[in-house]
Amino acid sequence: MTPFDTCALCPRLCRDRCPVATGAAWEAAVPAQIAAVARGWSVAPDTTPEALAREAVTACVDCGACRDACHLHRPLPEALRELRRQIAPGPPPEPLRPIEGGPAEWVAIEADERPLAAALSRVSGRPVGRWVTHDRLGVNGIESPSWTEHARSLRERAVGLRLATVDGGVMRALAQAGVSADWANEWVGRPAEGIGSCVTGGERPLGCCGGAPPLVWAHPEHAARVGRSFVRRAGGAVVADGRCRDHLRRAGVDVDDWLDRWLAGDR
Amino acid sequence: MLRDATAARVPVVTYGAGSGVCGGARGRPGEWVLDTKALDQLGPLDRERWSVRAGAGVNGQQLEDWLQARGFTLGHSPSSIACSTVGGWAAARSAGQFSSKYGVFEDMVLGLEGVAPSTGPFRVGAGGDRPAEWLELLLGSEGTLAVLTEVEMRVWPTPAARVLGGWEMPDLPTALGVMRELMQGELHPSVVRLYDPVDTRIGGRTRPKTDGSTDGAARRFVARWLASVDRLDPVHRNSLVLPLGLPRLVNGLLDRVARGCLLIVGWEGDAAVVDAASRAGHQLLDAAGAALGPDPGQRWYASRHAVSYKLMPVFERGGFADTMEVAGRWSVLEAAYHAIRGALGRTAVVMAHVSHVYPEGACIYFSFAGRGDRSVYAETWRSALDAAVRVGVTVAHHHGIGESKVEAATREVGPAVEVWRALKAELDPAGILNPGRLFGPPSHEAPSVVADAPTDGLGPGGEAMWPFEPGELPARWHRSPWQTPWIEVAGTWAGRPFRLGRGPRSAVGPDLRGAVARAPDVVITRATAAPGPRWMGEGRPEAPWAVARALLASDLRPAVLGVRDGVLRVGFRGPAAAAFGAIASARVPGGLVERPYAPEPLPAGPLRWTTDDDPAAVGVTAQGVFRRAT
Repeated sequence: MTPFDTCALCPRLCRDRCPVATGAAWEAAVPAQIAAVARGWSVAPDTTPEALAREAVTACVDCGACRDACHLHRPLPEALRELRRQIAPGPPPEPLRPIEGGPAEWVAIEADERPLAAALSRVSGRPVGRWVTHDRLGVNGIESPSWTEHARSLRERAVGLRLATVDGGVMRALAQAGVSADWANEWVGRPAEGIGSCVTGGERPLGCCGGAPPLVWAHPEHAARVGRSFVRRAGGAVVADGRCRDHLRRAGVDVDDWLDRWLAGDR
Repeated sequence: MLRDATAARVPVVTYGAGSGVCGGARGRPGEWVLDTKALDQLGPLDRERWSVRAGAGVNGQQLEDWLQARGFTLGHSPSSIACSTVGGWAAARSAGQFSSKYGVFEDMVLGLEGVAPSTGPFRVGAGGDRPAEWLELLLGSEGTLAVLTEVEMRVWPTPAARVLGGWEMPDLPTALGVMRELMQGELHPSVVRLYDPVDTRIGGRTRPKTDGSTDGAARRFVARWLASVDRLDPVHRNSLVLPLGLPRLVNGLLDRVARGCLLIVGWEGDAAVVDAASRAGHQLLDAAGAALGPDPGQRWYASRHAVSYKLMPVFERGGFADTMEVAGRWSVLEAAYHAIRGALGRTAVVMAHVSHVYPEGACIYFSFAGRGDRSVYAETWRSALDAAVRVGVTVAHHHGIGESKVEAATREVGPAVEVWRALKAELDPAGILNPGRLFGPPSHEAPSVVADAPTDGLGPGGEAMWPFEPGELPARWHRSPWQTPWIEVAGTWAGRPFRLGRGPRSAVGPDLRGAVARAPDVVITRATAAPGPRWMGEGRPEAPWAVARALLASDLRPAVLGVRDGVLRVGFRGPAAAAFGAIASARVPGGLVERPYAPEPLPAGPLRWTTDDDPAAVGVTAQGVFRRAT
């Protein structure tokens, strides 16, 4: 049996833990509903078109909250990942660009316009290489057929390097490839606020990451609503994570980005 | 959207989070489903008035989390809290696990905003500009009269103390008796849950856990169970539901092995009040059954939102499982239990619990599972609903009517359905809102008054439990949640007899009692207070209305609370009356001097909010002080 078969039809505790279903007020994104569609497509594809299944499985940002909330602890995120490989693999990763700045052990990965490598070099007093990526090291294509090969390239490239980034997408791509990296603020003693912690407080924290794939490329309008809803719940947004910042700005949210200010002083 | 739907004659089904089990919010081909979840405004929270506003689409658990982060609670905790919305609670008249203290959802509502095809946006209740009786009719209307968009609710401080305990009762009548004493004794427990012998046996809730089960252990158990089911061949998998195909045999066996009922009772709130109430309550409970200590109550509390996870395999192997809740007055409750259990037991394995109790009665919640096709399932429901109507209880308590109970609910309310029909014609003249749900065409064959209708209020006493001034039903926001003015309203409407109030809430859809009370030959049954201890005190604090409000805010629930000629009068009834009086006296500046007890009528309205120092003030709730509106 798959997690799709064994959804307990319980009061759907995943409903209010899923950042997408909750943030976008989107019924079709409730994990139990996604599981129902996925099951329908698996066992009776004549009644559940593949397009519907594709829409359902791309509503997931793979945060794992539904699995944690589930009484059965069924691994729905993992099952959806597998299903996406079949019907919604995402765009293939772009080839990796070379690292600029000569041989340097310390490398900053820049996923947006901010001159992170130069800033880190100036503050830390050591040479910092610059690794530019325009697709967040291919994070949108984690479930694409070419990911395995791409991940191998990432691991080879990272050998002997200390990597830093301010981008949640880059961080996820690296983690998925089995490569460790630091948040850039750790190198220079800056606060961690606004980096990699998009969760509201309280006993039952609620995540965001409307900027994560596959939601962000498959359902950009819902992704924007997730971001706006999160900021409203959190009472504001202090953001340094580049992916989060870009996402919230696309959603029309004013964000307070301390990293922007810090980098601006170093330009 | 409603304008367009009206013009196109397209039915509109309002949808919250889909937790309804009666099919009331399910879209059908050709209909529009209006998902309210984007109406997700949380707040504002009025810390002075103890009220909160929330959009109809706000998820229940998120509202409660939001309130608790601010030091408040709604006190509403249905099992579906994580998968239901505020609007759904209002539309189906939800009830939560702490209903005996905080009330059921309609008791929490101060005002509603909604949209109807003929009116556009409107507000009813406190601050509303529509007839007062609309609020009673919209609560429980299940999307048939309007689309609810916002709800204003009472809130309470998060409880400072909580006491939970378990008792093993020898049998159902003994247990029901002590539950009745607790409620009529005005001890205001937060939790009263009785499991019938089968549920007690199956649930194993009377046995303390010895393995210190952890989340990790539970996870491993579930994983092992699922893995073992995975490995079974199809024949053995089907054996999972074999017992459900022999319901009479299984029910009979369970009856032989099941003895005794588990009763869980708890109090929460202000520490001194909880202490006084629970001491008096424990005396009653200890006299009726064997005390099991706090463990069963704590185990229930920790797992109160847990649900069965075996349903999908049961369904896939030809089984069915469902629940049915009814509500009745104490005088018919035991008979109703046996009649409905007997009806269900012909085709399903049955167990039951009682978890919403009131001074005048309680809700019985049946869980049943059987095996067979849709016709067996439908027959199971039909015979159980027939038994409910025949024995004189309401066919719904907090699950609503939806599609599955339309026929039985229509039979139950009889000609009073015309009240709902008239308002529907006014608000939704094209009939686009959730057609075919809630009520059907009036039945002229079915009896609307049962032969063995109970005629009691709360038994002997003579003192009306909540004596309001004569007149119309007092508006909900004029009274505290526990002040139930009427039990039953009976008479004739359009030449046909009706009797509303079979259950403690008259909870079959909207509360029609206020509207039909205008009938010329109507007979109203009021709740009467049980005889027993009384306590009353008087004091002359400065700002006496403010002090009265502070007493309510400090978790006391006096039977008498008012100010006349600058004198504050506070009275309590029941076995804890003197203890409550002592607490109240300590909380009134200058204290209270004991006086002979004398009940006083409460103002029926129309009323409006006023300031604590208004010399024209006539009434008070925890939300504020009232003066007459005219």
